[in-house]
Amino acid sequence: MAIPILELRNLGREVAGRGAEPFVIFNGINLTVRDGEFVSIVGPSGCGKTTLLRVINGLLSPSAGQIFVDGKEQNGADGELLMGFVFQGAALLPWRTSLNNVLLGLEGRKKNTPDAQAIARKYLDLVGLSGFEQHYPHELSGGMQQRVNLARALAVDPKILLMDEPFASLDAQTRSFMQLELLRIWSQTRKTVIFVTHMISEAILLSDRVVVLSHRPGRIRSEFPVPLPRPRDMEIKSDRRFVELENTVWKLIEEEVKAAGGFAKL
Amino acid sequence: MLELYKKNSPAIHKLLSIMCGLAVWHVLATVIVADSSFLVSPLAVAAKSYEMLFQTAELYPHLLASSSIFFYGYLLSIAAGVPLGFLMALSPAVRDYVHPWMTTLYTTPRIAFAPVLLLWLGIGAGAKVAIVFLGCVFPILINSYYGMRVVNREFVELARSFRLTRLALFWKILLPASVPFILSGLRLALGRGLTGVAIAEWFGATEGLGYLIFFAGQTLNVPVLFVGVTAFALLGILGFEILRKVEEIATPWRKKLQT
Ligand SMILES: Nc1ncnc2c1ncn2[C@@H]1O[C@H](COP(=O)(O)OP(=O)(O)OP(=O)(O)O)[C@@H](O)[C@H]1O
Ligand SMILES: [Mg+2]
Repeated sequence: MAIPILELRNLGREVAGRGAEPFVIFNGINLTVRDGEFVSIVGPSGCGKTTLLRVINGLLSPSAGQIFVDGKEQNGADGELLMGFVFQGAALLPWRTSLNNVLLGLEGRKKNTPDAQAIARKYLDLVGLSGFEQHYPHELSGGMQQRVNLARALAVDPKILLMDEPFASLDAQTRSFMQLELLRIWSQTRKTVIFVTHMISEAILLSDRVVVLSHRPGRIRSEFPVPLPRPRDMEIKSDRRFVELENTVWKLIEEEVKAAGGFAKL
Repeated sequence: MLELYKKNSPAIHKLLSIMCGLAVWHVLATVIVADSSFLVSPLAVAAKSYEMLFQTAELYPHLLASSSIFFYGYLLSIAAGVPLGFLMALSPAVRDYVHPWMTTLYTTPRIAFAPVLLLWLGIGAGAKVAIVFLGCVFPILINSYYGMRVVNREFVELARSFRLTRLALFWKILLPASVPFILSGLRLALGRGLTGVAIAEWFGATEGLGYLIFFAGQTLNVPVLFVGVTAFALLGILGFEILRKVEEIATPWRKKLQT
């Protein structure tokens, strides 16, 4: 088998707890991701999904285990730029226009050449925002801000795209629309994506594989390949296989929530 | 007519407010108090100002003295406050060393320092600038420090996820994110700085608006006293307007946020 683009071996992260015991956020995470695969991670609130993405990106150090990208072990945030991070709250710099926000990652690597400008424009175009280059974030709708967020991560041409609930703050309609947009953009770029979401239907619609995390300490509870052909559209949500998978994953998460002591404890 | 009002309503409101204030002042001075050794009408102040500006020209040295003391004290505060505030935000050690001094000096009434500083530095410009500096530096320092400390955690993670250098993190994220805070520090410092000028010139000065007011108060020259107060007020307004322009230029993205 070819070398996987991303491999997590026995990954764990704990922080100092209130008492003598450390507070384990997640542990024993083993995950192998193929090049070009779209993997979603779902799990109950607070199970450590955001923390997991931060650790994968090197923003936090793991307290156990290893991360390999293309077979090379990763060592924190001083390493090479291999991943793009799409933040939950868009995290657009309010003092930069769309274009300059997208340029940020490119400035880190090369000088702000016309070349970088062209790349930034290309990705703004890809996410459907040509014509909005000179707009400031507050002049954009929530959906548009997430598009810039995505374009910014894509512009550095990362091997892996890490997305942390990017559509969570959008209204239902915009969210569905952005899901379709992401399907389109993904089919054009074929990036490897790790996508964190609360929404099971979103995970199934977008992914090749859905990974379910358990309640704290987060572990991989189960994995499901998504047996649905691409290209996909909203109609696929009424496909029998879609519905069955959604039910199966939902039951699993429900069990996890019960194990945690009910919704009120989350 | 209504169109004209709608377009310029903020300006019209401000103008009306000022006119009303002046009218109340005028009535108060001429009808209610009616004693020109206590209060004079704004018209009398305007006449006196005109005289001091264009006939005797005696106001200019005072204006110049006060503005230059203010200017140097304010600039020195920026030069010291902003970098020190940044250092405090970036280095826990610097923070620990500066913090106790910052809180003590900030909360001590500045007027208490004035005699001491005059004793040490004499009644020359040095002591006055120092008093203004003490008034201005803390709001600027505290705001610069705070502005850089509260930078959105996601912005810092963004920079790290793009593997930006520490220098780039400072220039591209931390500094621009702090600018609005620094500007509000500058605005706070403006009022405190002008108060500093007045205090400094109160004690043993021979020129300046503070001296003018103090002297007029001693000699019960009410019109001149009000000319001095008005000049301070106008300097304050001028400072605010300059800062507003600076803000517009430095933070163009905020303009639309506010309106
Ligand atoms: N530095 C820390 N110290 C203590 N606890 C922490 C720390 N960082 C995270 N946690 C805890 O770890 C758990 C996981 O947090 P994380 O944000 O990764 O969860 P999540 O799965 O992304 O949650 P959500 O679905 O609500 O976004 C939470 O219970 C959080 O309170
Ligand atoms: Mg999260």
